[in-house]
Amino acid sequence: MQIIINGKTYAANPGEKILDVARRNGIEIPTLCHSEALPGLASCRLCMVEVHENGRTQYVASCTYPVADGMEVFTNSEMIAARRKILLALYNLIAPDSARIKGLLARYHVEPFDRLEADPDSKCILCGLCVKACEELGTNAISTLNRGTKKKIGTAFNEPAADCIGCGSCAIICPTQAIEMTEAEGNRTIWEKTFELLRCRDCGEYFTTPESLEHVRKKLGETVGNIEELQLCNYCKTKRAATRLKDGLHLDEYLDSDK
Amino acid sequence: MQNKKTIFVCCGTGCQASGSMKIYQTMQKIISKLDLDVEVVADIKKTGCHGLCQKGPLVHITPQEITYIHVKTTDVQEIIERSIIKDEVIDRLLYFDKQQNAKIQSKNDWSFEKKQFRIALRHCGCIANDSIDDYIAKGGYQALEKVLKTMTPQEVIDEIRKSSLRGRGGGGFLTGLKWSFAAKAQGDIKYVICNGDEGDPGAFMDRSIMEGDPHTVLEGMAICGYAIGANRAFLYIRDEYGLAVENMKKAIADAHARGVMGQNIFGSGFAFDAEVVRGGGAFVCGEETSLIHSIEGSTGEPTSKPPFPANQGLWGKPTIINNVETWANVPVIISKGADWFASIGSEKSKGTKVFALVGKINNTGLVEVPMGIKLREIIFDIGGGIEKKRKFKAVQTGGPSGGCIPESKLDLPIDYDSLIAEGSMMGSGGMIVIDDRTCMVEFARYYLKFLSEESCGKCVPCREGIKSMLKILNDICEGKGQEGDIELLEEIGSMVKANSLCGLGKTAPNPVLSNIKNFRDEFEAHIKDKRCPAGVCKNLTKLYIDQEACIGCGLCAKSCPTAAISGEKKQPHVLDEAKCINCNSCRERCAVDAIRVH
Ligand SMILES: Cc1cc2nc3c(=O)[nH]c(=O)nc-3n(C[C@H](O)[C@H](O)[C@H](O)COP(=O)(O)O)c2cc1C
Ligand code: SF4
Ligand code: SF4
Repeated sequence: MQIIINGKTYAANPGEKILDVARRNGIEIPTLCHSEALPGLASCRLCMVEVHENGRTQYVASCTYPVADGMEVFTNSEMIAARRKILLALYNLIAPDSARIKGLLARYHVEPFDRLEADPDSKCILCGLCVKACEELGTNAISTLNRGTKKKIGTAFNEPAADCIGCGSCAIICPTQAIEMTEAEGNRTIWEKTFELLRCRDCGEYFTTPESLEHVRKKLGETVGNIEELQLCNYCKTKRAATRLKDGLHLDEYLDSDK
Repeated sequence: MQNKKTIFVCCGTGCQASGSMKIYQTMQKIISKLDLDVEVVADIKKTGCHGLCQKGPLVHITPQEITYIHVKTTDVQEIIERSIIKDEVIDRLLYFDKQQNAKIQSKNDWSFEKKQFRIALRHCGCIANDSIDDYIAKGGYQALEKVLKTMTPQEVIDEIRKSSLRGRGGGGFLTGLKWSFAAKAQGDIKYVICNGDEGDPGAFMDRSIMEGDPHTVLEGMAICGYAIGANRAFLYIRDEYGLAVENMKKAIADAHARGVMGQNIFGSGFAFDAEVVRGGGAFVCGEETSLIHSIEGSTGEPTSKPPFPANQGLWGKPTIINNVETWANVPVIISKGADWFASIGSEKSKGTKVFALVGKINNTGLVEVPMGIKLREIIFDIGGGIEKKRKFKAVQTGGPSGGCIPESKLDLPIDYDSLIAEGSMMGSGGMIVIDDRTCMVEFARYYLKFLSEESCGKCVPCREGIKSMLKILNDICEGKGQEGDIELLEEIGSMVKANSLCGLGKTAPNPVLSNIKNFRDEFEAHIKDKRCPAGVCKNLTKLYIDQEACIGCGLCAKSCPTAAISGEKKQPHVLDEAKCINCNSCRERCAVDAIRVH
C-alpha cells in the first residue's frame, strides 16, 4: 500500500494512521495529545491534514484517520497553516507558561492574540492523555469531570484517589506539565496523596512507589520471570539488559520478564 | 357501526399543558352518562399532536369534520349537546383564518393545513396513540409483513436507496446508503438505534411522533433490522420525554403481544426486539458516537469517525442509527413505493420535512411540508405571517447551531443543500422566525452561550474557540467592541468549524458567521457607533418618543417601571433618557409604534 504525502510517495501498512506514516518518514505534523504508546485521542486537533480520496477533499485528524491505498495527503497547505496559527493562539490563552506551547508558537510564527487575555493560572489543555495513560495502566484513578468550559481533570469527588498508585505516569506524559508531582525526603506527593519512594537496587536512586511495584507484580502475575528486575529504575534496567545482550546471555529470560 | 361519531381530544404534550386531559375526562364522563338515553355513541380517543399547539386544547369531531380550538371544560356540555346530539356547529369555538379572513369549520381547510403534506406525522392526531389496533387498522405493520414475506434484505435496501430518503436528524445522509454499509459489514451481531434525544431547544417533532405514533418508529426499525441483519434495537429517548418513554414502552409490549415483535415474526423466522434507554441529559448526547457511548454506559462524549457506527458502533458491532422522523418515513416508503416517495420534494431532497415553527409568528406549531417549498410559503401561508403585524427580519433554521436566512432569501426553496449554501442547515427542523425588534448580534450571542455550555469540552477548537468568540460578542453587546472584532470572529469561527472533532463544534460558529454575513451593518453599528439598531442591547440603546406619531394615550407611561415617561392625555408624551433603563416595556405597549430607537 502506498500513500502520497506532500507530493511524495510513501509505503504504508493497512490499519496505520496517516500520522504514523508521516512520523516514520520524518514529515512534520505537530501534536499535543499524541503518545506513541496510546491510541490516537484526536482531541488536540493540531494534527489536522487535508486528504484527497475518491474524488473528495476532507480535513481530518491525522492521528486517527486510517490510510488507504493511493490517498493523497497535504500537511502544510495555506489553509492548514492559517488555522493552525489561530488554534495555537488559543492554546496560548490556556497554557501561557508551557514550554511546549511556547515552542510551537515560535516554530509556526504565531502572534499571540492581543484582543484576548491569557489565563495566567491555567496549565491544563484537557488533552486527556493523563486519563488515557491511567486507564491503560488499569488504575483509572483520574478522569474528566464536568463538561464544556467547566471541564477539568481530577480524582473522583476531588478527594485523594483511593486507586492512585503514585506511579506518576500522568504527570510524565502531560504535554504542559500541568499535574503537580513533588518529591522530597523519600516521599512523592501527587493528587494530594503522599507515597513512600523505593530505591533502585543498582544505583540507589529513588525511582518508584511500593504501590506501583505491587501493581505491576499483580498485573504480570505468574508470568513474571525476574522479580529482581522490577526493583530497578528504568536506566539500570536498560543497562542490565544491554549488558546481557552484549554478553549473549539469558536472552530468553529477559524477553520473558519484560512481557 | 355507520356514521358513528368520534370525538378526538388532542392530548399531546402541548395540549396537555393547556388542560386537555381535563377536557378528555369531562367528555368521557358526560358521554357515559348520556349514553343511556341518547342514540349517539361518542368514541373518545387520546390522540397525538395536531400541530397547532398554541390553539389547544383541540377537539375534532368526525364524520362532520368540525375542529374546535381553545376548548375549555365549560364548553364540553355544549359541544355534546349541540354538535354530537344535534348536528350544529359552534361558531364561537372555530378557528379564524387570517389568510382566508373567515372562520373555518374543519382543520383540513385551515391555511395552516393546506400547504402541508404529511408522511412522518400522518397518524399524529388521527389515531389513538396507545392503541396498536388503531395503527393496524390504518395499515400498520403491513410494510413489515411485506418485506418479511416478499422481499430479500437486499431488495429492501435497494428500495430505500431508490427513494433517496435522507436522514432527518441533521446531517441529511442517504439512509439507504448507510444501511448498505451496515449490511455489508462483517459480524453476526448488529444493532439498530433510534435517536430520540432531540436536544435542539426549539424542536419537538420527534417527541410528537414518539408520543403520537410510536408503532411507526418500531416498524421502521424492524424493517431496517431485517435489511441489515440485526435483531436487537435501542430507542434512546431524551430523559425529559416522560410520555414518549411511556408510550414507546407500551408500544413495544403491545407489539410483542401481537407477534409483530419477538421471535419468528409473521412466520418468517426473523426475530426482533427493542428496548428503551433514557437519555444522558446533554445536548451532545444526541451526536451519534456520544449516544452510543452513553448506551454502553460510558461518558457521553464524541469520538472521532472513522470508524463509523455502520461498521463499528454499539459495543464495536455494526450499528444503524437513525432519527425518529427518518424511521417514521420507512414503512410508508415500503408500502407506497420508492417511486411515489421520490416524486415528492426537490431534486436532491426527497419527501417531506417536519419543521417546528416558533418565534414571532402567528401560527406556531409543527408543520410538515414537501422539501423544496419556499420559505415564504411556510412563514406567510402556513405560519400566518409575523406576529403583531411587524416586519419579517430573518428566520433561523437548524437549531442552536443553524444560521439565519434574511428577507432577501424568502423565495429560497428549502432543502438540505440550499440551507447549507446559505450558511445554515436543516438540523432537526427548528425554524425560529425573527422580527425587526430582534438584535442579530444578541441573537448570535444567545446561541453561542448555549453552545458554550453544551460543548463537551473534549477538543480545544470547540471549547476554547466558542469561549473566545463569546467573550468578543459579550463585549460587542456591552458596547466594548473593538475595531477588528468582526474579522477576528470570522477567523476563529472558520477554524472552529474546520478543526472541531464533532458536529457540535463543526457547526457552532454558524449563527455568528451567518449573521455577520447577512447583517454586518448591525455588528458595525454596535462596534463603531456604539448603537444597537434594534434597541435590544441595553448599553447601546437610547429610546425617544416620536412627537408626530404619539397619540397621547398614556399606555407607555403606565407601563414604565421608572416613571421615565410623562405627558398630558391626548398630547405627545416625552421620555426622560436619564431615567430610562431600556427595559422596552413602553415599546411593547405602544399601539402606534411611536417609541423609537436613536
Ligand atoms: C451535537 C449534535 C447533536 C445531535 N443531536 C441529535 C438529536 O438530538 N437527534 C438526532 O436524531 N440526531 C442528532 N444529531 C445527529 C446524529 O449524530 C446522527 O447524525 C443522526 O442521529 C443520524 O440519523 P439520521 O441519518 O436519520 O439523521 C446530533 C448531532 C450533533 C453533532
Ligand atoms: S493534565 Fe496534562 S495530560 Fe492531563 S489533560 Fe491536562 S494537559 Fe492533558
Ligand atoms: S466539537 Fe465540541 S462537543 Fe464535539 S468533541 Fe469537540 S468539544 Fe466535544
